[in-house]
Amino acid sequence: MELRIAHLYPEVLNLYGDRGNIRCMTRRLHWRGIDYYVDELGIGSVRQGAAGRSLAQYDLFFIGGGQDFEQEILLEDLGKGMAQEIRAAVGDGKTFLCICGGYQMMGHYYETADGVRCEFIGAVDLCTVGGPTRMIGNYAFRLGEESGGSIVAGFENHSGMTRLGSGVKPLGKVLRGYGNNGQDGTEGVRAGNVFGTYSHGPVLPGNPEFCDEILRTALVTKYGHCELEPLDDRFEMAAHEKAVRRA
Amino acid sequence: MGTNVLRKVLAVSTCKAARGALRVMKKGGTALPGKAAMFWSPDILSSASEGVQTIIVTGTNGKTTTCRILEHALAEAGKEPLANRSGANLLSGITAEFVCDATLTGKPRHKYAVIECDEAALQYVAPRVKPAVIVVTNLFRDQLDRYGEVMHTLEVIGKAVRKVPDSILCLNADDSLAASLALEATGPVLYYGIDASACAEDDESAAGRTVTAGFHDGTAVSDARRCIRCGAEYQYEYHTYAHLGGFYCPSCGYRRPEADVAVTRVEQMGQDSSTVRMRIRDGEYEARIGLPAVYNLYNAAAAVCACTAAGMSPEESLRSLGDHVNGFGRQEQFTLDGVQIRMILVKNPAGCNQSLAYQDAMTQDFHLVLCLNDRTADGHDISWIWDVDYERLCGNPHLGKICVFGDRAEDLCVRLKYAGIETNRIVQTHSLQELLDWLRASDRPVNILPNYTSMLEVRAALQKETGARAFWKG
Repeated sequence: MELRIAHLYPEVLNLYGDRGNIRCMTRRLHWRGIDYYVDELGIGSVRQGAAGRSLAQYDLFFIGGGQDFEQEILLEDLGKGMAQEIRAAVGDGKTFLCICGGYQMMGHYYETADGVRCEFIGAVDLCTVGGPTRMIGNYAFRLGEESGGSIVAGFENHSGMTRLGSGVKPLGKVLRGYGNNGQDGTEGVRAGNVFGTYSHGPVLPGNPEFCDEILRTALVTKYGHCELEPLDDRFEMAAHEKAVRRA
Repeated sequence: MGTNVLRKVLAVSTCKAARGALRVMKKGGTALPGKAAMFWSPDILSSASEGVQTIIVTGTNGKTTTCRILEHALAEAGKEPLANRSGANLLSGITAEFVCDATLTGKPRHKYAVIECDEAALQYVAPRVKPAVIVVTNLFRDQLDRYGEVMHTLEVIGKAVRKVPDSILCLNADDSLAASLALEATGPVLYYGIDASACAEDDESAAGRTVTAGFHDGTAVSDARRCIRCGAEYQYEYHTYAHLGGFYCPSCGYRRPEADVAVTRVEQMGQDSSTVRMRIRDGEYEARIGLPAVYNLYNAAAAVCACTAAGMSPEESLRSLGDHVNGFGRQEQFTLDGVQIRMILVKNPAGCNQSLAYQDAMTQDFHLVLCLNDRTADGHDISWIWDVDYERLCGNPHLGKICVFGDRAEDLCVRLKYAGIETNRIVQTHSLQELLDWLRASDRPVNILPNYTSMLEVRAALQKETGARAFWKG
């Protein structure tokens, strides 16, 4: 078995230790003897027409969070073919893990507090509006049954308030903290095989069950079935329990 | 007028009384006394610093060490400065430092001052203190949940700098972020840095390898990948570490400015010191730097640059550079029951990576202690440990065990496991007492890399056990 992983825009969306998620997924694949490779697809790697690469060759995509300064460059690049490729990959049932800024980017748009609207990818039916407060701190949520039902503890730091379209399922229910908007108790999104969350940076290492759920989703999509061998997660679960207590 | 003087007298006496009381209670009181002074006389810092030749040092990493080097250099030149050694670097702490040193009517006693200032506090401190020199060491991602983004930090420093156009700016030429402050500055600017000649790739000496070793990993996170003027991706003639080096923008031509004070060659880089060639304006000098590691080359150059800006001669600026000076927790050494302990504060990925790179300079077997807390002064967000290259520890032939301590020790253990460290080499200690016992039992020297509040905690314990000085005494 092999998973082909694409890390999208690592040079722009790399705030807050995002690469820990890639490290976590690849180690856990390696320990189980599953092959993998990771390609970093930055600005300019996907172009409409013959010149660029297609996302069709990958099984699992990761998009992290970023800072505002570089957003313009990103929006411009999305318009040159990447957005279309991402929509196609989502349509093909490919697995995505999208975090914070990357999560917002999968939706229709982001509207700032002053009413300026940035058009995003529109691969998932959700949109984000700039809010008056920064929603920041350790938090915890319980994954929906379709995502395994375990508790995820992480750190959120966003002012954007995300609303899901009607019929779109959240990734989980907020136990402590803000989640999507601090109001409706939802956190993230689970749309098909797209996992979106505000739990920024290294959410997977301290939540090994969530990591395995994502790997399993990608492997099942590719091979039709998948049994993940259990690992010695004593270190991971100790960190998990500490983070849950912190939330 | 009379009320004004009365308010100042009240401010000064309350401040001194508050600090005195806190010290009697064995608490290193640093913020409260300043707040008390400002309550009586909100602008007391302006008068308490009036006429004092002040050098302010700000930036993400290296503030404290640069200040200690500067303080020592000024003292050796007969210009004994006032300094905020305790690390209280916000408006209240800096106010307390000046006010406690002032006469009862709020007039300064010292003629010189070396002040470490928090990046966000600079906009309040600089207009009051009107410094002769402002040093900006570098800008890296730091406690993101406190400040937001690196660009935001740069903006607030820029805002502060524009309020004091008469101050001479000393900027790190190798940091595209810090150096960019000159783009909008109206006053004089001096640059310092490490020249390409010090990082020459054909250099087979250990020194050359060490200087260029920082940016070994293509996936390393950069805080400044794109040109601050036009957004194009920077190219580099050479890297020193992280995003520091000979950057240039192929699109708009913005590039590393030539440094007025530069390390031009690294002759030797050891466990305790470095020997370099340094250019100061037009002259070349040999200099010994009494602290190890690449980041201290920058701290030394920053200090020499500030001395130069303050009008000191190259000889005066360099004379004491070889002496070992340290701020609390920065390259500080202790001996606990015969075990040599060196403490190196790490607060963010760039600093931590440099301290890990320094472990490569170890020539004898050692153990490592890593401490991680997530309290307010540290930042509640510990994501940054995943931006640190702990992977590099795997290949260190002298490293034995890694002992992990602190509120978030479990997360650090996971990080080390995923970095490829065998789990049987990772020891977690659950209490300070357990950590001290582990240190005492060590068969080799130990390097401790704590973050801020864990440093305070471990340092206080080591101080108690070994009789080192209290931190507010420096």
